[in-house]
Amino acid sequence: MATYIRPARKRKCSKTIQEPKRLVTPGDVITSDTDFMRGHGTYMEEDKLHASVAGVVETVNKLICVKPLKTRYNGEVGDVVIGRITEVGQKRWKVDTNSRLNSALMLSAVNLPGGELRRRSAEDELLMREYLAEGDLISAEVQSVFSDGALSIHTRSLKYGKLGQGVLVTVSPSLIKRRKTHFHNLTCGASIILGNNGYVWISPMAGAEEEEGGGFIQNLEPVLLSDREVMTRLKNCIVGLAEYRMMLYDTSILYTYEASLKYTLEELLKPELMEEVVEDTRRRLEQET
Amino acid sequence: MLTSKSFVKKTKRGSVIKVVREHYLRDDIWCGSEVCDICLQEAPVLERHPQIDSDLCDFPHYVLPDTNVLLHQIDILEDNIIKNVILLQTVQQEAKHRSLPVHKRMRDIIANTDKKFYVFTNEHHKETYSERKPGESPNDYSDRLIRQAAKWYKDHLERARKQGSKVTDGDDESGVSVVLLTNDMANRDKAREDGMLAYTVHEYVKSLIAKPELIDRLAQITSAENERKKRDSDISSDGGRKVLFPEHMSATQLQSAVKNGTVKQGTFHASSENFREGHVSIHGEEQMIFIKGLANQNRAVNGDIVAIVILPKHQWTCPSSVVAVDKADKEEEGEKDFEEGENSDSSRPANSQPTGKVVGIVKRNWRPYCGVLQPSNNMEGTRHLFMAAEKKIPKIRIETRQAASLQGQRIIVSIDSWPRNSRYPMGHFVRLLGEIGDRDTENEVLLLEHDVPHLPFSESVLSFLPKMPWGITEEDVKVREDLRHLDICSVDPPGCTDIDDALHCRELDNGNLEVGVHIADVTHFIRPGNALDDEAFNRGTTVYLVDKRIDMVPELLSSNLCSLRGNEERFAFTCIWEVTHKAEIVSTRFTKSIICSRAAFTYEEAQLRIDDKSMNDNVTLGLRGLNRLAKILKQKRLDNGALVLASPEIRFSMDSETHDPIEVQQKEMRETNSMVEEFMLLANISVAKKIHEEFPQCATLRRHPTPSPSSYEPVIKAALAKGVELEVDSGHALAQSLDKAVIPDEPFFNNLLRMMTTRCMTQALYFSSGTLPFEDFFHYGLAAPIYTHFTSPIRRYSDILVHRALAVAIHADQSYPSLLDKQNVQTMCNHMNIRHRMAQYAGRASVALHTQIFLKDKILDEEGFIIFVRKNAVQVFIPKYGFEGTLFLRGPDKDKDGLFKYNEEECTQSAGNVTLRGFDKVRVQISAETSNIQHQKLRMKLVEPKVSGFSVDPQPAEPTREVESQPPPTKKQRRGGP
Amino acid sequence: MAGIELLSDQGFRVDGRRPHELRKIQCRMGVFRQADGSAYIEQGNTRALATVYGPHEASGGRVRAQHDRVTINCQYSMATFSTGERKKRPMGDRKSQEMSQNLQRTFEAAIMTQLYPRSQIDIYVQVLQADGGNYCACVNAATLAIIDAGIPMRDYVCACSAGFVSDTPLVDISYLEESLGGPDMIVALLPKSEQIALFQLNSRLHADHLSKVLDMATKGCKDIHTVLDGAVRDHVSEVTDSMARS
Repeated sequence: MATYIRPARKRKCSKTIQEPKRLVTPGDVITSDTDFMRGHGTYMEEDKLHASVAGVVETVNKLICVKPLKTRYNGEVGDVVIGRITEVGQKRWKVDTNSRLNSALMLSAVNLPGGELRRRSAEDELLMREYLAEGDLISAEVQSVFSDGALSIHTRSLKYGKLGQGVLVTVSPSLIKRRKTHFHNLTCGASIILGNNGYVWISPMAGAEEEEGGGFIQNLEPVLLSDREVMTRLKNCIVGLAEYRMMLYDTSILYTYEASLKYTLEELLKPELMEEVVEDTRRRLEQET
Repeated sequence: MLTSKSFVKKTKRGSVIKVVREHYLRDDIWCGSEVCDICLQEAPVLERHPQIDSDLCDFPHYVLPDTNVLLHQIDILEDNIIKNVILLQTVQQEAKHRSLPVHKRMRDIIANTDKKFYVFTNEHHKETYSERKPGESPNDYSDRLIRQAAKWYKDHLERARKQGSKVTDGDDESGVSVVLLTNDMANRDKAREDGMLAYTVHEYVKSLIAKPELIDRLAQITSAENERKKRDSDISSDGGRKVLFPEHMSATQLQSAVKNGTVKQGTFHASSENFREGHVSIHGEEQMIFIKGLANQNRAVNGDIVAIVILPKHQWTCPSSVVAVDKADKEEEGEKDFEEGENSDSSRPANSQPTGKVVGIVKRNWRPYCGVLQPSNNMEGTRHLFMAAEKKIPKIRIETRQAASLQGQRIIVSIDSWPRNSRYPMGHFVRLLGEIGDRDTENEVLLLEHDVPHLPFSESVLSFLPKMPWGITEEDVKVREDLRHLDICSVDPPGCTDIDDALHCRELDNGNLEVGVHIADVTHFIRPGNALDDEAFNRGTTVYLVDKRIDMVPELLSSNLCSLRGNEERFAFTCIWEVTHKAEIVSTRFTKSIICSRAAFTYEEAQLRIDDKSMNDNVTLGLRGLNRLAKILKQKRLDNGALVLASPEIRFSMDSETHDPIEVQQKEMRETNSMVEEFMLLANISVAKKIHEEFPQCATLRRHPTPSPSSYEPVIKAALAKGVELEVDSGHALAQSLDKAVIPDEPFFNNLLRMMTTRCMTQALYFSSGTLPFEDFFHYGLAAPIYTHFTSPIRRYSDILVHRALAVAIHADQSYPSLLDKQNVQTMCNHMNIRHRMAQYAGRASVALHTQIFLKDKILDEEGFIIFVRKNAVQVFIPKYGFEGTLFLRGPDKDKDGLFKYNEEECTQSAGNVTLRGFDKVRVQISAETSNIQHQKLRMKLVEPKVSGFSVDPQPAEPTREVESQPPPTKKQRRGGP
Repeated sequence: MAGIELLSDQGFRVDGRRPHELRKIQCRMGVFRQADGSAYIEQGNTRALATVYGPHEASGGRVRAQHDRVTINCQYSMATFSTGERKKRPMGDRKSQEMSQNLQRTFEAAIMTQLYPRSQIDIYVQVLQADGGNYCACVNAATLAIIDAGIPMRDYVCACSAGFVSDTPLVDISYLEESLGGPDMIVALLPKSEQIALFQLNSRLHADHLSKVLDMATKGCKDIHTVLDGAVRDHVSEVTDSMARS
């Protein structure tokens, strides 16, 4: 079996042709003007606004924030997230959503099998582990943010629920482009969920029957090899895009996928080929805009 | 600014470890030449127009010596004619690695800005560094580095010249070249191949027009080098000359041998009485190993650290108690002598000692030696023998063409090497001191031999002195206690100018007495860390010679500002006790003060005042009080077991014009001497307690180790012969038995006994309190559990340290780092111990020298006592001159041999009905012997008791001349035991 | 004074640096993908790797979680191959534990801990090659890793060692200088405000020299800050560029 010995990743020296953006690093004074409001990534000291993270200064009216390159996921209401059950508790599941505290999925925030408006009984509490056990993956939406920053999520829509067979890719949350929809059935024959928390779910094209049963039943039928290859290729593409810090959204993923078709799956693992693919995509995207 | 490059080194430390160290190469190391405008240097060292007249290199040039040149020809480089020298880091480091003394001297030269020595850090320069090639030996590598640096200099100076001439628009400047000096022919040739100027030192020095005599100073290293080569190729004979000495073990062999215990390492001490004998003190072991015979000594010179093997027990022997002087005039004779030495004494005595032989030299401890050339019948020849003033040093063979002019002169010679086939070590001439017998020359020899720094104080040192006129300011008064109202006086020997202590005593209202000891506040003027302090530390102590005083601190301080003169306001460090009339201490306190001494008395004056009932002023009353208390204190001390020891102390009366001694007097002891001494002891002990309390780790203290009973053996034996028993189990017992040991009809016997007892003891030492357990602090001689020196800061550096510590302890001054560093204090103590001892030796040597001068052209009969009986001689002590000499019983004339019979058991010599034993009183005739110019010693002849065929007739009494005399500089009473 | 002369009369140290010169620093951020933040640093021959996980839900449940601030968990280890003689175990010995403690203290002073109550940040540092200033390299690497993880800090934390040889303070001392040269001072500094986050002094140093040595160490920290800041800016601008272009 041929193995590739990869050389250490070399960063390409990108020639900066950027508009003047203000980079700050922790401790830098952003402004000593007290009129501004303190946003994320900043702090006040001695009447001066300092940066607390390294990143670009963003000013919205009077609000100054510094957005770091990558962080843990900071949830906002309405975000689509993918999470993994870590704990089954009293009337709630604890879900790891790549945020700094585990999110809570209340028993009351899920659609239980047997109708939307069913009363939650004590029996349901006992059966919670039957519905979702530790390690299960779910897709959900952020319902609210607790005072300590923890998220409350819900799956009260047929789009959300337990995930079946597929591939999970984790990338930095900042790479997920916010769009109207994060559920895509890609033309290449797989569907993806781009969770705002940086978790990306790739699954075979969903059949209509899966939505039955409130999303608690997994389809465990074997997936065709061709589908698996498509999913794997998609996964490689997403990893590649993330590696080169490209924003992830349906078009960029699809373009990368198409650009990657000239190489086999194995070849795609070579960084130099991946780089080429990503560059192709980048060029194509730039042409379109 | 940083160009980095790492290289890999492997070292072995038990197991093999790979060591990786970074090695930065820089481009900001400048060439150090005034010629160069390329380098951005601030203060170039090397001159623009270096001038040295050489017919080999008659153009301006810098000299670049290699390692061996530096190591062996440092005397040449030290000469003032050699200037503008580039020293490479490679050379300097290698030199340091191989010889620390040379490295030290090199540093001194570099520090001397007149010499224009520039150190070029070539191994960190981008262009002169290169990595060691695989398979290249360290020597080849460093040679290559040196050549590379030399080449760089050549090209660099060339470039600088071109650039310079462009600017000045003219090429009248011929530029400066670099001359590489090396003794390695291969290296020289390689350098020449590369187009560099390279010469051997011999070639170069010979070409120096200005100073042809420099050739004499070239080290005789070539033959040694040859020898090494010969040895490498395993040829045992060298041009037919016999190999006299066994080979030394190599460094690596030694290391492993020392590790597995077959070989021991120790310091070699040659015997000063017999050149064929020596001892080796093994580090950390009590027993000295005896070394007999020149072959066993195997080229070890006194002071060297050697590796020895202990011989099997049946070869053990003991010192022959023969006094033998190497008399060989020529080398050939010396060789004969050599064999003689081996076989002369094959008998094996019963009291044999562990005996060993030297198998290798760990470290040479050679230094320049003072001495004279041995007269030889061929003054025109170039090879001569040199005799060092120190008897422990073998004769040294040197080559010089100036032998004739060096006759009768004191010179300095260095040893270069000692090849196996040479009876004597080889050396070279370094410096001329002056004529033999000239007092200045002899004084200089004396100081040099005892390593006493005696040059005048340098400008930088003097710059730290207070500006005159000096006065007490308001601020001083604020921080000091004003004691000017007290009736303080000082008591010192006559003629003393460095008065460092004063006393007072007064009655308090509560009936107790207040006693104060006021010590000159030297540390007020000498601040830690400045040049003045460094110099004082380096000198360590003031050295008192008979006709000269070598001050530790400049005269302005020692004889003026710090001297507590009468009726002058001075700063003092005061120790005040409240004592009862029974001399029990109620309280002690220390303070910095201002005092005004009412009077500076001599011991005699003070004594007169005390005795004169009619005087009743405050000062006299104080003196009487002090005297009374001192007697009580002394008695207490003696009851505790303090020893009263004796050492011969004499004074010379000097002729005021010729400064020749005209009369010898014993020092007198008065009550007042002991009075002052008593309070100084008290102050020292009080201060010692205080600073030890405050600084348990780093106080400078003084201890006197309890001697082992075995060390008293010679005295006990000798005393027994006189029917006196000595108990040495404790200080107390010893003191009592010494008190009892009085023979009525021999009043001097007790003194003599005390003197000899003193000799059996070890010296008292300074130490840092953190380095020893408290029990070892004991001062045996004074029977004090803790002791230090506080009372003479003008003449002892230890007191300065103590003053500083005490000042910190009473919050009168600030501490500084090195005072609080235990290790550092200990190193300082070690240094002071050496200086102190050397100062004592120098003082004694000075007395001996003056005795010599005094007795010149005189023949006197004097009374003496036998203090030691040896196999062929007796040691005789003459109390009148405090002098001790050897009375040979078997002279050079062989016919007198056998007259005396030596009894080993009883230590006696007898001839006919006369028996000589220890402590016997004899009468001897003394005369200065002039036959041996090197060691002009006093010759003794026996007068009484009469031994026919041996003793001589007494001299007719001669009236002593009356000449106006002036008092010599006085040495202060040594206080506080040995 | 036998042995190696740590500072030559010409003012060069054994490796050719002058007393105030740092060793060459090279660093990289984001060397691992799994971790939230990671960095690698070389200070001369001392090499260290740091990874940061978090802030995440405190492990060990609510017992260890603190209600007003984030828990910082540090672990210092030395690779078995990092020293001349192979180490028996990489961590858990007293020295490593002490180092871990120190790291924790240091970063508690710099990270804005109040922002993440009930969370935990894990900082793992490992020395890959030890040549003096191990702790400093670890602090510097961890700072980079924290910045890489986007965790808010008041300021950089830069650490630098300083020694004292023949009355001259030496900055950023190597292993050789550490093992021969008496006092060894370690300072972790918030360079902008010059607040000291950690100060450690091994062996005795006289108070008179303290300020001299401290100044030298402080200056070293600031120099390190300049280097690190440059590296961070490069990293940030590079990444934001490529993000902007997509």
